[in-house]
Amino acid sequence: MGSYVQYLSENSSELIFYAEQHFLLVLYSVTFASVISLALALVLHTNQLAPPSWRRSLRVSSRETSLLLASAALTIPSLALFGLLQPVLGLGVTPSIVALTLYAIYPVLRNTVAGLASVDPAVLEAARGVGMGPVRRMLRVQLPLAWPVIISGIRTAVLILISIAVVAALINGPGFGKPLQDGLARLGAVNSFNEVITGTLGCLVVAAGYEIIFVVVLRFTTPRGIRD
Amino acid sequence: MTDIVQSLTDSTHRAPQRPMIALEGVSKTYPKQRRPAVAELNLAVPEGAIVILIGPSGCGKTTTLKMMNRLIEPTTGRILLDGEDVTDVNADQLRRRIGYVIQQVGLFPHLSIADNIAVVPTMLGWDKRRITSRVDELLHLVGMEPAEFRDRYPRQLSGGQQQRVGVARGLAADPSVMLMDEPFGAIDPITRERLQDEFLEVQRQVAKTICFVTHDLSEAVKLGDRIAVFAAGGRLAQYDTPSEVLAHPADDFVAEFIGSGTAVRRLSLLELRHLELEEIVTSHGGAPTVPHSGTVYDAVDVMLAAHSPLVVVVDDDGQPRGALRWDTLVSDLRTKGPPR
Repeated sequence: MGSYVQYLSENSSELIFYAEQHFLLVLYSVTFASVISLALALVLHTNQLAPPSWRRSLRVSSRETSLLLASAALTIPSLALFGLLQPVLGLGVTPSIVALTLYAIYPVLRNTVAGLASVDPAVLEAARGVGMGPVRRMLRVQLPLAWPVIISGIRTAVLILISIAVVAALINGPGFGKPLQDGLARLGAVNSFNEVITGTLGCLVVAAGYEIIFVVVLRFTTPRGIRD
Repeated sequence: MTDIVQSLTDSTHRAPQRPMIALEGVSKTYPKQRRPAVAELNLAVPEGAIVILIGPSGCGKTTTLKMMNRLIEPTTGRILLDGEDVTDVNADQLRRRIGYVIQQVGLFPHLSIADNIAVVPTMLGWDKRRITSRVDELLHLVGMEPAEFRDRYPRQLSGGQQQRVGVARGLAADPSVMLMDEPFGAIDPITRERLQDEFLEVQRQVAKTICFVTHDLSEAVKLGDRIAVFAAGGRLAQYDTPSEVLAHPADDFVAEFIGSGTAVRRLSLLELRHLELEEIVTSHGGAPTVPHSGTVYDAVDVMLAAHSPLVVVVDDDGQPRGALRWDTLVSDLRTKGPPR
């Protein structure tokens, strides 16, 4: 135990660096995934391109298709996905972010769709009845009401990504994957077990950091009338 | 002087039955349905009147109402609002000119009561101060203290209070027309009665043209200046004043729809102040009294409750105006003027 504390203090600057990397890797990926999912859901819900008689079926089918694709992406084993992206995008940060973004889309998109669908139809009818167009209805009514559900989707995505992100070390990606894999590769050698523990605990620390952020974000972005 | 002349010419120029809303040959056939929900409907809603659309479920009354603000687009026909053809104008802008109140209220849960009421004025670009004073004015109108309710949220209100706010939201931008889809349908009977009374009081002050959907005949008789009875398939079976509909149903369908008890219902249309009453004599002392602002229905209620064959009708100051006898009521009731 004492030796582990000593290990931590000797490598503190490196560990902080890993934590920062891990945090940012997840942050970038989840941000991209959220932007993509939100944009997709909003466009699908508010589009006026198709003739009115088609809109409904178009909306349903495009929604189901994108959910299917996103869930398919989530089922690809992470080891395989990082390997598959390597020939195209090379090594390092870029393929790591791309892969993690693909994984994060499903939970965010699923919750965005569920959140938008959960808005009381009477509220939407009233919005239409007072003369709000589709875009205003979405931005002023539907999105704020769906927001807590969407945020919880983003939160799920963050937790999933924190653990998947360690696999990024395979393609020289950033974060706690590196000490974890170094340790696993030389198990039995000096400090190897400390590295494995550090990689694991590091993920937990990053997760705890995100949880705190989410509590604050949820508090300040949820409209007062629908706060618990 | 010119003002008086102006108002005189105005009132003569304005034909008494000038329609604020007119549906001309309007039909609606929903996709994948062979029979129309509303067929070849002609309906004129006079300015300042409360017109009740009533009928069994599936008769097209709600479809008709929603075609007036084009929440449902008619398949054929024209919709005129104050003489202007609005069949093809921008629907969102049209709806901002028409108040809309629904049974489920549909207040925006994430907005304060003030912001809910202010929705349409905000979209119309009113300045802040005007909106604030309008919100307070409307809260007063629907009997809610602005200071207490302005900053609350919908979930903190009772069902009746929510619907008051719903009505205030509909009135916010001072539209000339209000469409109301069973606004009091989901409210308990006692609160509903009170809301109906308040609604009539509000209407006395604002004098809007109102279309009101209900399936409750008592509500229709109580609130309506005219009643449009719909039969299945969106056929307008009768369109007349409540007393005419009750006294002379146009066909078997209407007769069946209004059912039995129409004679009793009609009593509530007859105000006591319009009746010819008996002279008061001393022997009437001790008889129960009823205010002359009430209806014959109220008088009967008082007689039955007090086991008295006679009531004394009193005016607003409690002074006796005359007496009404049970025998007269069932045999020979005479009015001074036409009821309503």
